[in-house]
Amino acid sequence: MTTVAAPSAGTALDRVDGPEKVTGRARYAYENVPADLAYAVVVQATVSRGEVRAVDADSVLQLPGMIATIWHENAPRLAPVEDAELTVLQSPRVAYRGQVVAVVVAETLESATEAARLLRVDYRPEPHDVELRPDHPGMYRPDHVNPNYATDSELGDPDTALAFASVVVDATYTTPAQHHNPIEPHATVALWDADGLTLYDATQSTSGVRATIAPLFALPPESVRVISPYVGGGFGGKGAPHAQVVLAALAAKQVGRPVKLAATRRQMFAVTGYRTPTVQRVRLGADEDGKLSAIVHEAFEQTATIKEFAEQTTVVTRMMYAAPHRRTSHRLVRLDVPVPTWMRAPGETPGMFALESAMDELAVACGIDPVELRVRNEPTIDPERGLPFSSRNLVACLRGGAERFGWAGRDPEPGVRRRGRQLIGTGVASSTYPVYRMPSQASARAEPGGGFTVRIAAADIGTGARTVLTQIAADALRVPPAQVRMEVGDSALPRASVAGGSSGTASWGTAVLRACEGLMDALHRRAGDVPPGGLEASADTAEELRSQRPLSRHAYGAQFAEVGVDLDTGEVRVLRLLGAFAAGRIINPKTARSQLIGGMTMGLSMALLEESVMDLEFGDYLNRDLAQYHVAACADVRDVDAFWIEEEDPDLNPMGSKGIGEIGIVGTAAAIANAVYHATGIRVRDLPIRLDRLIGGGI
Amino acid sequence: MDFLRPVTWEQALAYKAERPEATPIQGGTDVMVEINLDKGRPAALLDLNPVAELTRWSTEGTEIRVGAGVTYTRLIAELGPLLPGLAQASRTVGSPQIRNRGTVAGNLGAASPAGDAHPPLLASGAIVEAESVRGTRMIPITEFYTGVKRNALRPDELIRAVRIPAAAGPQYFSKIGTRNAMVIAVCSFAVALHPGERRVGTGIGSAAPTPRRAPEAEEFVAAALDWEGRSPLDPGAARRFGELVAGAAAPIDDVRGRADYRLHSLAVMARRTLGWAWNDYTGRGPA
Amino acid sequence: MRVNISVNGESMAADDVWEGESLLYVLRERLGLPGAKNACEQGECGSCTVYLDGTPVCACLVAAGQAEGREVITVEGLASGGELDEVQRSFVEAGAVQCGFCTPGLIVQAHSLIESTPGVPADAEIREALAGNLCRCTGYEKILDAVRLAAVRKHQP
Repeated sequence: MTTVAAPSAGTALDRVDGPEKVTGRARYAYENVPADLAYAVVVQATVSRGEVRAVDADSVLQLPGMIATIWHENAPRLAPVEDAELTVLQSPRVAYRGQVVAVVVAETLESATEAARLLRVDYRPEPHDVELRPDHPGMYRPDHVNPNYATDSELGDPDTALAFASVVVDATYTTPAQHHNPIEPHATVALWDADGLTLYDATQSTSGVRATIAPLFALPPESVRVISPYVGGGFGGKGAPHAQVVLAALAAKQVGRPVKLAATRRQMFAVTGYRTPTVQRVRLGADEDGKLSAIVHEAFEQTATIKEFAEQTTVVTRMMYAAPHRRTSHRLVRLDVPVPTWMRAPGETPGMFALESAMDELAVACGIDPVELRVRNEPTIDPERGLPFSSRNLVACLRGGAERFGWAGRDPEPGVRRRGRQLIGTGVASSTYPVYRMPSQASARAEPGGGFTVRIAAADIGTGARTVLTQIAADALRVPPAQVRMEVGDSALPRASVAGGSSGTASWGTAVLRACEGLMDALHRRAGDVPPGGLEASADTAEELRSQRPLSRHAYGAQFAEVGVDLDTGEVRVLRLLGAFAAGRIINPKTARSQLIGGMTMGLSMALLEESVMDLEFGDYLNRDLAQYHVAACADVRDVDAFWIEEEDPDLNPMGSKGIGEIGIVGTAAAIANAVYHATGIRVRDLPIRLDRLIGGGI
Repeated sequence: MDFLRPVTWEQALAYKAERPEATPIQGGTDVMVEINLDKGRPAALLDLNPVAELTRWSTEGTEIRVGAGVTYTRLIAELGPLLPGLAQASRTVGSPQIRNRGTVAGNLGAASPAGDAHPPLLASGAIVEAESVRGTRMIPITEFYTGVKRNALRPDELIRAVRIPAAAGPQYFSKIGTRNAMVIAVCSFAVALHPGERRVGTGIGSAAPTPRRAPEAEEFVAAALDWEGRSPLDPGAARRFGELVAGAAAPIDDVRGRADYRLHSLAVMARRTLGWAWNDYTGRGPA
Repeated sequence: MRVNISVNGESMAADDVWEGESLLYVLRERLGLPGAKNACEQGECGSCTVYLDGTPVCACLVAAGQAEGREVITVEGLASGGELDEVQRSFVEAGAVQCGFCTPGLIVQAHSLIESTPGVPADAEIREALAGNLCRCTGYEKILDAVRLAAVRKHQP
């Protein structure tokens, strides 16, 4: 106990679960094999709206290996809860094409798949409405937007300010529906026994799944255990439970055996959430020097008829730039579509595509360098909340990034730089992401044989949480990380918040740190003596979080892109992508860099490739597999790099960290679109930047 | 479902005669996708992997006879100089893992309009060697594609080989996709110069219900090129060639691209590939 | 049907295999080897990459019956005697692993590239070799670092 180790935080510790993952030993949800397992396969609605009239359950039950067909008439009753995405198979209503209308359970996956295909479902279809358009008569003002922001905001008199502004940008931008496509499809193994329900689930929050699922089955939370040590990526899609979790539990209950259920890649396009498409109108008013007098940002989005999810698309505009007159708003329309959800930086990602594209248009209109334009509009306090910033180093990111990127001396003229048959251009965009911290609990235990075990129901979905928490614990316990065993990913561990909102390190780190401090105190009182049964301390951060003083807390960044656009075919290649970030203290530079570069790469993918295309006739997403929904491959990414500036911010949390999981994607698509404009002179306001949009745009 | 494992070609033909509904499987890169995505279940799979002779290729006169089991990877490594257009197209097929299993014959069997092998086969004037217990049919490639994902094979026939004239002149393949790799073609184009016959072959992919040639473009450019004097390609003629190639296509709008974009890019690819090929022929090197 | 496969040097047999089943399914669901991952079932993502008779393939596109009597090496078979293979070690050290779901396929494909390339492959070669292995987390940069590191360790010790 007297060991004094050099601090681990700030060092590039190798991922502690790396060896399990590179050897194939790490067990993901679907790879759990309880005895007597049965396979479940879902049957999806083939109409976009209407009612299930009948399900010919009996005829498929004749097939070999069949155990059960479950549909709304014979499904176990669930307790009524507000979230209609989860009250599966309780009513004949079909709210969108692809919604689950039945589950078949069989001895083998092959039998279940066959039965699911053959199952005859009779519908009474109704006309559907799946098209998002800003003038839709069903547009309404939601009570609030995700997670709990005001729907609209207004300061001053933006209309008059726009009318009198010397320079006005008024443009409409669109972003398409996008699907998370983590490499691991959503999967659940459900098992009922005398103690209740056990779920091996692919989730970003074991505590959250427990809290959500237990009431559906009228169980106390302690009767549900959710185990999820390894998760193959989430990006928000696994942030809250979707239908497949409930279906697995319900099917296991019905057949009295453990049941395995995975959404296939194709099913995921309907049942596991997506980012809403948006239509956004941005109006900027400025003087000739580019100083903003007015910012108006209005978003139009879709949600499902059975559940409201209101993406906070314009919230970011409330704090980004200074302007005396401002307005933001969100309007939603309920369509016969699948339920949208969080996807990596919900709100900031589509919102900043629009705002940062508009800022680039303003820079062009004013003849001001886009980096300089942003610097000129830097606010001294949060413009709408009126609060000081805990720290705000956007300008340092812009300046530092510009220097490393070689921005100086950039000729603003679009469409004039050629390399062979390629037009070359560069672009910049700012990025930001709020600093969230949520209450969590943790325990730390000194083991009698030496070493420590630290427990928290956190989720490591690939972020490196297990590693970073090990480092935080090791430093608090003043031992090398190798002496700390970190246990995460199980709802039986002390309750933790969701791996979302880039809040993991701040939320869980605080709890882990406090538990370790408590343990150190206890050890100190015992003069370092560990009793035979070990010594444990625990912590709950709810109180600590309540006493946090009100400040505007955000991470900042700036992305720089260089693109080459084929003059003849419109093919866009991102030649260079550089991100500069100010995100508080970086606890592990190795895992952090990967998170930032990974986010930027997803932004590149969003800029050029990702688009879920709604089939207006049939009412579902057309391109629902990885052959048709393209995500960036290795060959699309040439030179992506990220760096950060040192930032000390004592007003965040004991680690001094800001989140880094999402900020990488924010701003990237705008930086690329701005570079495409610089290369070609064509302003693409609709993502993705498709080849035919450039050629049609008249390169 | 049955799994049939012939070890000789004769056995394979006998199985196919007996079970014409059996789906032949070689690399599995199309057949298994259909099964995995549950788009349908064949009554039987006829595994051609064990038929060793299919993995061979040979030179027969001026023709290269490529067995139905020769993978793209081997075609690229072993046949590049003899079949440069097809080798180039093969390099753009899927990923290394797909090229390690997939075959040209499989591409023909699936007959997807987006298959990468089709344009160079059309440009070269390949022949599909189809066989059944009833005998062998030599099907000219232009008669092979009969509709979207449909071909001229009879139910009891299997593709034994593809016969492709060895390149007698420069050949190029070009493909447009949104991504840098792993891309289904938005559209594709192949050109082959046949200097001995003073003829130009073409092949268009992903821009009509079936892969097809552009006969008018071929005729026009064959006459326009200065085969004897090898003078540089006239930009006007190249442009016209591109227009005629685009004119031969009948694309649709889909998720991968709009029809007008396909026409535009086909013209671009036709112009470019012709330029590269002509430069090779005239000894001017890369454009 | 019964399928006999040599997996990671061990003769294994799977019974009651459905004829339309993939090698991937047999490995994961019948032989207790879930290292190769099931993520797209159409050869797009490469997460299921294994060696089949020494050649990397997508196990999801090999019919189980086609693997009869052949040799399969999965990610589980690369480490020997508890020692990580150089490629595995390099992935951990270079920080090329995030969620880990694409990792097994990438490791096998990268292993094949390094085994078949003398010296350290150029970036373009690496990107081409890994073109069929999608990763949604890392942005690929660290994966390239890992492959270069492994190549240096194998070929220039």
